[in-house]
Amino acid sequence: MIEVRGLEKAYPEGGMETASPVLRSLDLSVRAGEFVAVIGPSGSGKSTLLQIIGGLDVFYGGEVSVAGTPLRGLGDRALSRFRNAQIGFVFQSFHLVPQLSARENVRLPAFFSVDGALGAESEARAEAVLARVGLKTKGARLPAQLSGGERQRVAIARALYAKPPLLLCDEPTGNLDARTGAEVIELFQSLHAEGLTLLTVTHEERMSAASGRVVRLADGKLVAEGEG
Amino acid sequence: MRLAALLTLTRLNLSREKRGALFAVFGVAVGVGSLVFFVALGLGVGRVVREQVFPVDAALLDVVPPQVSFGRLLGGGTLDEDTVARLRALPGVAAVYRKMNVRVPAVSRYEGSFFGSQIHMGLEILAVGVDPGLLDQEVTPESFVDRGPEAPIPGVAAKRVLEIYNKTFAPARHLPMLAPAMLKGFVFPIEFNRSYVARVEAGTVIPARIEMVGFSDRVNLAAVTIPLAAAVRLNLAAKADATTFTAVTLRATDPSVLPALEEAVKKMGLTTDDQDRKLAKNAGLAVALTTSALALLSVLICLLAAVNIAQTLFASVRARTREIGVLRAVGASRSDVRGLILAEAAVTGMLGGLFGVLAAVGLGLGADGIARSVLPPFPFQPDRFFTFSPLLLLGGVLLGLVAALAGAFFPSRHAAAVDPARTLAG
Repeated sequence: MIEVRGLEKAYPEGGMETASPVLRSLDLSVRAGEFVAVIGPSGSGKSTLLQIIGGLDVFYGGEVSVAGTPLRGLGDRALSRFRNAQIGFVFQSFHLVPQLSARENVRLPAFFSVDGALGAESEARAEAVLARVGLKTKGARLPAQLSGGERQRVAIARALYAKPPLLLCDEPTGNLDARTGAEVIELFQSLHAEGLTLLTVTHEERMSAASGRVVRLADGKLVAEGEG
Repeated sequence: MRLAALLTLTRLNLSREKRGALFAVFGVAVGVGSLVFFVALGLGVGRVVREQVFPVDAALLDVVPPQVSFGRLLGGGTLDEDTVARLRALPGVAAVYRKMNVRVPAVSRYEGSFFGSQIHMGLEILAVGVDPGLLDQEVTPESFVDRGPEAPIPGVAAKRVLEIYNKTFAPARHLPMLAPAMLKGFVFPIEFNRSYVARVEAGTVIPARIEMVGFSDRVNLAAVTIPLAAAVRLNLAAKADATTFTAVTLRATDPSVLPALEEAVKKMGLTTDDQDRKLAKNAGLAVALTTSALALLSVLICLLAAVNIAQTLFASVRARTREIGVLRAVGASRSDVRGLILAEAAVTGMLGGLFGVLAAVGLGLGADGIARSVLPPFPFQPDRFFTFSPLLLLGGVLLGLVAALAGAFFPSRHAAAVDPARTLAG
């Protein structure tokens, strides 16, 4: 599902004259249906790795291929279609649009889909995905009317809306208390059981434990790998 | 992004930023409204000037002898029958109408009943004879014929004279208002070779009567127009020149050939009398200049509205940076994001343009109503001062759209350049 070869990434520093490397010659392979947790200290390049794999960051060295699609060389439009169809993102801060209802947030990907339905069919699909994450009755609520755990479930439902084969999660339990965090982990386990590929950056030991494989990053390199 | 998706997202975005959107719509509406209002006023006043104050037939050309001509000393530069024949032969000439002034002064002294009022009046009158064909649209040929010294001479006056009489002279002198039909058949006395103000060569006064047979826009404003045969007869009786013409009016086959015709006339050593045309042109120009100045002011208001839209959208884009990042993450391309911002501006501009046009039409109709009920009558008073052409109304809406899109240009580029990786980090 994911093939990363010789990945290099550096952020400019001191007025573009020097660059601070974040990822150094990183290689990573994830098979379809795997649940992989990426761990490591802050600044080790975990989130950057996720953004590059998800096609959000296009300034890097090396090769990245996702679901058989080499990302290098894709134009903005093609990359956007790739994100829309192949990737579901879940962020630590949920990133819901506050003025839109849970249902409208969930069906946001439909607006940018090439052939997705927009009308009643889209709303029914959003309701179904909300039901899948346990929020069947809360589609009309605004994000402010939901708890932290519920907001993250809405974000997961949005990530699942377009039925992508890959879910990229950046600290999905980072803003949740222990109980709701556990519920989210449980949800990820069931999604994994349904065959979805998950790559999640986490500091949460329970998340690592729930995953099938753990990779550790340090100073931009993959330093260790093991079972979850 | 598909149109339906774009419209839905635009509606959602605008409905949650109602205050900013309403303010932007108001700004565009003020600019577009004032532009449509002033241009409609200019078009309306221009129409009155063109059609009523200075009506000019675009296919007619008045030819007159030059004021100074060396050729005249040798017998050229005059409008005699030979010259008229040469004018008739010019390419592009459909018809030729000769004109001859009665070359002696004339006065009219009227004492008696004038449509119910008793008047005592003396007037200097200029009489001009014309070929009847020039007036065939306004006067029947059989009524505009000279029937000899004993019969009344048929006369035609300018429609504008009647308008000036009705709106200024009649109210001031408590005289009755007159319609053209009322004056048909009205006979008044006239004495040729007599004047209150000019020196008159010794000779016999020629008494006559003029019977009004119609009104026309094609005759001299300051004269009574009579059949050419009558003018010839009167000039012969007064021993004045009865062989050369004062002017010749050419009817062109098409208005587009007029410049070439004018050139050909000048080559014959003659000149053209385009005083009416110049007056109409100058008056039209004055109206157009005033309208343009006011329109420019309105365009400046639209420009300010565009700047306001730019500021509003810049603020909106700044506030929605993270949301734009989310849209990018779920599949929006840069052009989708740019399209969203432009679509919001387009809806704002269209609504502003629409409201502006409606307000302008409402104000124009209101102003016309007030003018009708409040203003005292004056010559050439139009039924309405405003002309709202469909093109103007459509142009108003389009201007609102263009102003809004211009204002959204840079904010949309700014929004499209949002880096989702940086925005969504953390």
